Amino acid sequence: MSLAFVGAGALLAGLVLAVFSALLSFWAGSSDNAVMIQVGRRAFYAAAAMILVASALLETALLTHDFSLAYVTEHSDLSTPIVLVAAAFYAGQEGSLLYWALILGILGSASLLASSALGLRLSAYAAGILATILSFFLFVLVLVASPFDLLQITPPDGLGLNPVLRDGGMLIHPPVVLAGFAAFAIPFAFASAALLAGRSDSAWIAHTRRFALVAWGLQSTGLVLGMWWAYHVLGWGGYWGWDPVENVALMPWLATTAYLHSSQVQERRGRLRAWNFGLVILAFLLVVFGTFIVRSGIVPSVHTFAVSAIGPWFLGFLGASLIFSIGLLAFRASGLRSHGEPAPAVSREGAFALQNLLLIGVIAVVLWGTILPLVSGLAGQQRVVGASYYDRATGPLFAVILALMAAGPLVPWRHAGAPLWRALRWPAAGSLVVLVALLGAGVRSLPALLAVPLGVAVASTVVHEYVRAAGRWRSAGGGAARAMALVAGRRRRYGAYLAHLGLAVVVVGMAASHFWQQEKDVTLQPGQQVAVAGYTLTYVGTAHTELADHSELVAAMRLGGQTLEPARATYAGLGGQSLTHVAISSSPIADVYVVLAGTNADGSASFRVFVNPLVSWIWAGGTIIILGVLLGNAGVRRAVIEPVAARVPSPVGAS
Amino acid sequence: MIRWGAVVVIVAACVGYLVYSASGSSSEYYLTVSELRARQPASQDVRVAGVVQNDVQRSEGGLHIQFTEKDGTASVPVDYRGTLPDIFKPGITVVAEGRLGADGVFHARAVLAKCPSRFSTTPYVQ
Repeated sequence: MSLAFVGAGALLAGLVLAVFSALLSFWAGSSDNAVMIQVGRRAFYAAAAMILVASALLETALLTHDFSLAYVTEHSDLSTPIVLVAAAFYAGQEGSLLYWALILGILGSASLLASSALGLRLSAYAAGILATILSFFLFVLVLVASPFDLLQITPPDGLGLNPVLRDGGMLIHPPVVLAGFAAFAIPFAFASAALLAGRSDSAWIAHTRRFALVAWGLQSTGLVLGMWWAYHVLGWGGYWGWDPVENVALMPWLATTAYLHSSQVQERRGRLRAWNFGLVILAFLLVVFGTFIVRSGIVPSVHTFAVSAIGPWFLGFLGASLIFSIGLLAFRASGLRSHGEPAPAVSREGAFALQNLLLIGVIAVVLWGTILPLVSGLAGQQRVVGASYYDRATGPLFAVILALMAAGPLVPWRHAGAPLWRALRWPAAGSLVVLVALLGAGVRSLPALLAVPLGVAVASTVVHEYVRAAGRWRSAGGGAARAMALVAGRRRRYGAYLAHLGLAVVVVGMAASHFWQQEKDVTLQPGQQVAVAGYTLTYVGTAHTELADHSELVAAMRLGGQTLEPARATYAGLGGQSLTHVAISSSPIADVYVVLAGTNADGSASFRVFVNPLVSWIWAGGTIIILGVLLGNAGVRRAVIEPVAARVPSPVGAS
Repeated sequence: MIRWGAVVVIVAACVGYLVYSASGSSSEYYLTVSELRARQPASQDVRVAGVVQNDVQRSEGGLHIQFTEKDGTASVPVDYRGTLPDIFKPGITVVAEGRLGADGVFHARAVLAKCPSRFSTTPYVQ
């Protein structure tokens, strides 16, 4: 018996278990039947286990080159390195859906295991919703896009993998992004369950926030890795192109960024409850919408995913999720009214509220740009917008968000007193110094004069907060133990500031590489030199080598003491497809980025040379953000948050 | 105390204005080659999707490329300076961004190829 039958059987069993878990959990939850709630939850674990079995079988089929499976034949071959064959698991349509279901099963099980503090009914409803989502994926995997379909004739070798994807980035970027996408379902399930059960206490907020942070952390990592991969592999000198595929990964990240901030207003002040539900639900709907857009091929994109039968199913799922969520919010809206007075304009909660509105504004801009081809196509001729639309429409919004990032942490909850301007003097001074320096250096571009000083202001605020903490630590007597206790007592806070610092570093890196990138197309004879932005490159010569399945043209260029080797591989077997190997000399100040365009009959070679200032700051900043998430949240079982209720003005920045 | 309803309206108005002004000046028509052929040469940039024909000519070390883009029956010569995406080759679908000159040649300032997000080397057959 073939492994494929066992795999397909496991998926079918998983589907039956997930449907059973969904029905039982909803029924047992509504009738408060503790035993059946347990059974429903265990059925979810069992469904997750079935997916794990199916995943292990698909991975086995790939690694043993079982070409009787269509999926194995279409996505691997005998010559592909074995780690990339393993990565084929999530590279194709069917496999990526299975991987998605696997992550949903694992994270869903973890979130249910950790949900004991939430009350039986709420966690039963959450299990029901998670099981419903899992059922949808399993339904698609069983009936529409099965990874275990067999070929009638087993071919001797597979079709292999496109050279563009034969890269280490393939091993890390897709699994992280897909895991991030899958993770947004967890906060959604618990938010919907809380609405269904009609309760949302502090335990619920802590739980939902934790898993929202898991999704946010994964998505942040995935976005940075995606930029890193595009930059190092594609050879166009950039890292973000506002392609629909990138946009749909960004939008749920933005919505969850908003939620991570506004949920603090609910924790501290008991406000924005309906809004917080809305944000969590929005993030999930954007994920489903994005998956539909990307997989159905209805929007022109540089990435063509396999256009297949799953598009209409995702559209149906999106519609059902939308109706369910809106109905639920409308049904519970009256019970979610906030109590007490509205947020004052100049206060921490006021800053959060404005930041939230602006983030929603950015989502609206990106969403409109992404669906414009669809909307205009319905009305007549299809129109598309390019990167300049996104730069111009989101730029001003991001600038105000950065200003809020600089000021917000220094503004107290409830209301700002007189010392506000005193508190803001450090970020103001930091940004002013940089602004003057930039003007002195001859910079006259308004966007650059806004972005870089604002990034510095954000960083100044964080540094100021850390210095204040160090001052408290010193006045308390110093010592390693006290430092640990100080940070441990407010981990979430110092983790969040670290993430802010990371984002400021990313912003400066993006602004510098965007506004001050230089590029030059040159044709050089051996021995000739070219200077770009103060970097002098000398073309030494070109070597041509024939390898098993491709030929490689490697140019040598001297840059100071080092040799850069941009290359171009040509795959004759693939209709002469070529593959660029970019040569990058990276430093904290600038990357020298050389692409070999080709050689000429007279012995000269043509290059495109970029000098990208501060690009490495983006990768460094991304790493700092992830460290911030880990510092603030890893291993925290339950955040202790004291609500700010008393009408006593707290000292600036102290709460 | 301020009215948050007013803030929402102001932010929404700003976003609306940004979208309107940015998309008015930078949105482009997305055309097939036949649709391009049915239009007059214009001063506005458009994007044209079509299949690269087997007549790619490279000069200046591969930085100057001329080829024909075709869809069904209509075709258009394309002239482009710059680096091409790796997967560019005859038979693939590309999107050229630029404008049709009075000389009947499409002068592209960017050529995008459809990225093979699929792991396989064969085009998807439905």
